[in-house]
Amino acid sequence: MKKPVVKRLSATLAVCVVGLAMAACSSGSKSGGGKVHLTFWTHTHPPMIALNKQLITEYEKANPNVTIDYQQIPNTDFNTKMLTSLSNGSGPDVINMDDVAIRGDYIPKNLLAPMDSAAQATAEGRYLPHTLDGATSADGKLYGLPTEFNATAFAINKAAFTKAGLDPAKPPKAWDDVAADGQKLIAAGQGGFNFLYLSAGQYTQQLQILLNETGGRIVSDDGKKATIAEPAGVQALELWNTLINKDKLGDPHSSTRDATDPFADFEAGKTSMTIMYPWGVGQIKQDNPATFKNMEVVPLPQVDPSKPSGRWYGYYMAVNKASKHQSEAWKFINYVTSQNQRWLTDVNFIQPVKDWASSPAAAKVPFLPVWQQAYQQGRFDEVAPHWAEVQDAIKTAIESTVLDGKSADSTLNQASDTINQSLAE
Amino acid sequence: MSTLAIRATTHRKLIGAAFAVPALALFGLFAIYPMVRVFYISLFDYDLTSSPRWVGFNNYEFLWHSEQFHQSLEATGFYLLFTYVPAVLLALLLAIGLDTKLPGSGFIRLLYFAPVAMSWVAISVIWRLLFQPDGLLNRVLGTHTTWLTSTKSAEWALVIASVWKETGLFLILFLAGLSKIPRDLREAASLDGAGPLRSFRYVTLPLLKPMTAVVCVMAVIRGCQSFSPQVVLTGGSFNTEVVNLYVYKTAFENARMGRASAVAVLLFFALLMVTMLQLRLFRSDDR
Amino acid sequence: MTRVLSRPAEVAAPPVEPARRRRRRVTVRAVVLYGLLLPGGLLFASVFVYAVLSALKPADEVLSTHWWPSRFVWSNFKLPFSTVPFARYYVNSVVVGVVVTLLNVVTCTLAGYSFSKFAYRGRTLLYLIVLATMMIPLEVIYVPLYALVFKLHWVNTFSGLIVPAGTSAFGILLMRQSIDGLPDEILDAARLDGAGETRILWRIVAPMMTAPMAALALVVFMTTWDSHLWPLLVGNDDNHKTLPVGLAAMQADNAGATGIPMLMAAAVMAVLPTLLLFCLLQKRFVEGITMSADIR
Repeated sequence: MKKPVVKRLSATLAVCVVGLAMAACSSGSKSGGGKVHLTFWTHTHPPMIALNKQLITEYEKANPNVTIDYQQIPNTDFNTKMLTSLSNGSGPDVINMDDVAIRGDYIPKNLLAPMDSAAQATAEGRYLPHTLDGATSADGKLYGLPTEFNATAFAINKAAFTKAGLDPAKPPKAWDDVAADGQKLIAAGQGGFNFLYLSAGQYTQQLQILLNETGGRIVSDDGKKATIAEPAGVQALELWNTLINKDKLGDPHSSTRDATDPFADFEAGKTSMTIMYPWGVGQIKQDNPATFKNMEVVPLPQVDPSKPSGRWYGYYMAVNKASKHQSEAWKFINYVTSQNQRWLTDVNFIQPVKDWASSPAAAKVPFLPVWQQAYQQGRFDEVAPHWAEVQDAIKTAIESTVLDGKSADSTLNQASDTINQSLAE
Repeated sequence: MSTLAIRATTHRKLIGAAFAVPALALFGLFAIYPMVRVFYISLFDYDLTSSPRWVGFNNYEFLWHSEQFHQSLEATGFYLLFTYVPAVLLALLLAIGLDTKLPGSGFIRLLYFAPVAMSWVAISVIWRLLFQPDGLLNRVLGTHTTWLTSTKSAEWALVIASVWKETGLFLILFLAGLSKIPRDLREAASLDGAGPLRSFRYVTLPLLKPMTAVVCVMAVIRGCQSFSPQVVLTGGSFNTEVVNLYVYKTAFENARMGRASAVAVLLFFALLMVTMLQLRLFRSDDR
Repeated sequence: MTRVLSRPAEVAAPPVEPARRRRRRVTVRAVVLYGLLLPGGLLFASVFVYAVLSALKPADEVLSTHWWPSRFVWSNFKLPFSTVPFARYYVNSVVVGVVVTLLNVVTCTLAGYSFSKFAYRGRTLLYLIVLATMMIPLEVIYVPLYALVFKLHWVNTFSGLIVPAGTSAFGILLMRQSIDGLPDEILDAARLDGAGETRILWRIVAPMMTAPMAALALVVFMTTWDSHLWPLLVGNDDNHKTLPVGLAAMQADNAGATGIPMLMAAAVMAVLPTLLLFCLLQKRFVEGITMSADIR
């Protein structure tokens, strides 16, 4: 009885050892002898990934001595993996990251390589003013080029509006209108409106939209003190709370908490209005053509329609300071960011080059005038040291108020204390 | 004792010690060394991408005053108590019932084990559906609780899902422990007039002590180091940020490795004490 | 050389239970099993079954609370393969899982036996240190561990995935506690018979420890199979990524509701090896151990 077991065991072990040996020998590839090996990490967004892969193939063909290893890492894991790799002086050569991370974390921590001044001058000549601020350091050096640049708008479900007796051609302009329209929609059995309750980052971004409109700020200009509990800040949170809990435009307890699909509720008809970004249009077009057909993108509702605002955010490709192939990395980045037309048509990513709106591909961008308008009235998000902790405090405050019923004043005061603690360290 | 016998003993001790070498070698390099580094880093401010900066006991001082840290300890205590006490008791009862060769028993054991086999990432999708305000759980219970989105119920939701998922693990351990208790002993006891309860209390339970010790130690450690269910079900909101989730966020999202290490060190000492206590309590006195 | 060890005298010949009482005992047991534990088990597994059914649902039915799919979409099970290198991730996970499990069973049984039955100096201290390593959460350990693995050039290799997990404090705890219950007399008797230490380990101790070893194998395999953070840090390309990392990527890649059936299909396929292992090993959990052992 023992013999067969022993035989089987040793056989399995042998197979494993051989497998191990094979695997160990075949792993990893190194640069050397004129060959350049770049690693490129991005988050996961399927249309973007597809185009990236295509562009990589083209680049490798045009530059036969270059191989590019492209890895996609889910947003939730991105920071963990990046930090751990960077802590050993390894990590990718080229990264694609959002401006808050770049301005708030990676530039201050000296992890990125700045462009040389000639390249920077060229870039500044090429892009619309201020759109490069998302990857610019406090002392004016540029660290990346944009792959996507988003302004904030609003989307409504035309069919639902019609069913509720509303005219889709007259979308809500102020949040009060959103409330009124929302209540009519709900009375007609349609979805209303809701914010998203996903990651701490998304909570903060949505509050930032409202803060831009009320004139509030999360932290002071010098990044040293929390100002979220000041009246303009409280006004923003109370607006959120009123829309959801008093006007009852949506149920925060049953809204999707699946971070991978921010538009699930809109697509399912649980909401008929939602905050929208250009990349969202592309994603809905791909995932849910029925919703896309019914969708109309309109300007973002305002607290004061005579003083419109919105938030900007962008993703930029940047170079790791520890990279051993920085010039090649920049060459690759220049190639990827030069393909503006394809980014527009294939992925609906707007790259803010000076004449993007009049380009042939732009004509095919759905809802072009709305996006053009949105770009006039936006600004980048605030950043400060330890921003992840700040975002966490904001998330707690919003959840305590909107989901747990505590007053905006008290929750924001608590958030303020927490934020001050973080900024003090 | 003759020299031969003494040498035989020493020789035996050497071989015995040698048996432990493979494990100890792996431990030394891959467990002890990193552990020592963690203790060391707890005295620094380290954000992973710049050089560590000496701060002495600052991290510990911060934790002493930190509301968030205290909250996390409370959340952990709640979770540990209400998940693992029921899970262990349930596992024991199930093990006794399932320790049989009756037809179909293997299948039934599989039913209780299945929850353990699936990863939290995957099963959280289902549990989130079940916990929806209009989901199946509310329908079955006739309630309208907002399970995952309120401070009153989020902790309980986690307990429910975790008891479901953890019981099977302890079930296996108890089954393995029971299987080593000779049937003849148990049958002999019942012949002496002992009813099933007495036979359990005076025969089975004492012989199960070693395995019970393992189960209890594992339960406390798993309870204190849990964070997957919290991440996937509530993200730590609504008072469910258990201490290990606090550690993870502090280390990787807030890039404060020094502070996270300090928490780890504190947890270490707490768990060490509890484990030593447990092992002493469960020590078999019939060696 | 064939020797049969004699049973300890006390349990030489157990008295025979009267048939009627045995039958009653068996009936009670059967009632409990089929009347209580079976329904309970079905309840327990129902969530799991729900997961399996979700894998077969068409995309638009996933979020509805209807239990049963309107039609069975078996093609959902092909989706993971076309979205990510699912087969490769699976193979990677199997290789890592099997090797880590084997390493653990071997090293932990050896060490557990060593700490349990040999009285050499420092063994208590060593045992305590081993246990102590369980008390620190893995997440903080991973950062210095990654630095070490990096220095060994084991990043993105199977060695990096496997070797650091080659032994576990839990395993040593389990085996030591279990071997503690082995009567010393048996071992001493074998030594008197002239058997060498390795032989005793292989022929006497191990066969009597199949239940805890099986439990250990199952737990270690399961933990390794589901481990997400370490493979995320160590695996940099598809040849070295494991299933949980792939699952997370799959979840991130695919818009919520439409992606759920695919994710559940992937999860169901991911669960199979653990369930299979359980079925193979579970006989060991309920085997009664008799007090005699043969050396053949």
